[in-house]
Amino acid sequence: MNLVFGAAAMGLLVTMALAMFRATVGPSAYDRISALNAFGTKTVLLIAVLGFLSGRPEWLDLALVYGLCNFVGTLAVLRFSKYGSLAKDELASAEDEP
Amino acid sequence: MELLITVTLFAFLIWMAVVIGRQRDLFSASMLTGIFSLICAGLFTVMDAVDVAFTEAAVGAGISTVLFLATLALTDERERRPEHTPLAAIGVVALTGAALVYGTLDMPAYGDPSAPVHTGVARHYMERSWDEIGLPNIVTGVLASYRGFDTFGELGVIFTAGIGVSLLLSAGTPELTPGAPPPPPKSRAPYVREMPILRTVSKALMPYILLFALYVQAHGDFGPGGGFQAGVIFTAALILYGLIWGPSAVEAFARRRLVERATAVGLLIYGGVGVTTLTLGHSFLDYSALSPEHPQHGQHWGIFVVELGVGITVSAVMLVIYYVFASRPKKDVSPMRQPLPLLGGACVGDVSTEDAEADS
Repeated sequence: MNLVFGAAAMGLLVTMALAMFRATVGPSAYDRISALNAFGTKTVLLIAVLGFLSGRPEWLDLALVYGLCNFVGTLAVLRFSKYGSLAKDELASAEDEP
Repeated sequence: MELLITVTLFAFLIWMAVVIGRQRDLFSASMLTGIFSLICAGLFTVMDAVDVAFTEAAVGAGISTVLFLATLALTDERERRPEHTPLAAIGVVALTGAALVYGTLDMPAYGDPSAPVHTGVARHYMERSWDEIGLPNIVTGVLASYRGFDTFGELGVIFTAGIGVSLLLSAGTPELTPGAPPPPPKSRAPYVREMPILRTVSKALMPYILLFALYVQAHGDFGPGGGFQAGVIFTAALILYGLIWGPSAVEAFARRRLVERATAVGLLIYGGVGVTTLTLGHSFLDYSALSPEHPQHGQHWGIFVVELGVGITVSAVMLVIYYVFASRPKKDVSPMRQPLPLLGGACVGDVSTEDAEADS
């Protein structure tokens, strides 16, 4: 059983790396928003899997908080991007390339 | 297996730190810090520091993203190119880092049973806390009882930080008349029209989030959680509400003046417990005084009340900071920018009244 949880954890780490890759290269802010949201979801799952892996499923409490805070954070980001910085995106990504 | 996960997460952490350092777009950077904090929390979980991970979850992933964005709404979104070459700074940082790494060489290995942390007071906590305090979650026992004085100080720091932010950012904003009702939330209608899904979801979720905050508050004795985490979750729920319905809707529920007073109330409750134990002839914050026949019961009561004080102050300070950011008018950094309804809520309303007039 631990093998299965371990494999799941590995798979989650790989998807986390993919989300981080998207957050790193961008190019637009929306790529980063969805990367952040995806990463948050993966963290929730990773904590749940780690809880089962170490035999303490009560860590699900923790995963719940992550789910909640991730929702609040993403909502704030979306509101900000919709009303605050839509016009700046092209400018930002054009100047950002090193 | 655990080692592999730890190493991978640390690699992620370094990766993110480098990316954040190179990022000049502050909006993207604030999202990347969100990812950074999520990785941190994952690491804390792997290291069994569940209570710390809990705090990191509530503060790092939720509230700080909101506060970063609130700051961006008041300033500019682009970091200015530095006018000097960063070589000297890099040199200093590298030297300090090397010194720190050199310092860690003397430290005992991670998990070494002969390390000083395991042989000092921690040993007493682990062996005696069940008899002396009787809480399944030793962390709560250490935090609220053995180290109750430290936690009192931490709460004082949070209170001071709230006052500091409030004073700094309130300067220059029009003073609200005492007791005046908050402005009528006339900008509600467009919020409703624009986001039916979010509106419905947030309304449906609200009671459960608040209930969950209370659960975390009360359940800190038995599992991960406690006043700090509960306070942040409670405020996260209110901020979520404010993001969707506008800050005035939150202010109608929790008056700003009341919340400002509540920041001190929590601290007073905490200190009041200490003074009570003093008057009962014990040391400051020695909860056993509350129930001389059953010292364990006294500990439970004391910890419960103290955690309540922590929860009230943390929640109120977070809310005050949100209010302060929300009520501050935006400085005219770039005239191209529109006012931000993330915090003000006025501009959506204005647009919609124009729409309504056009319709009629």
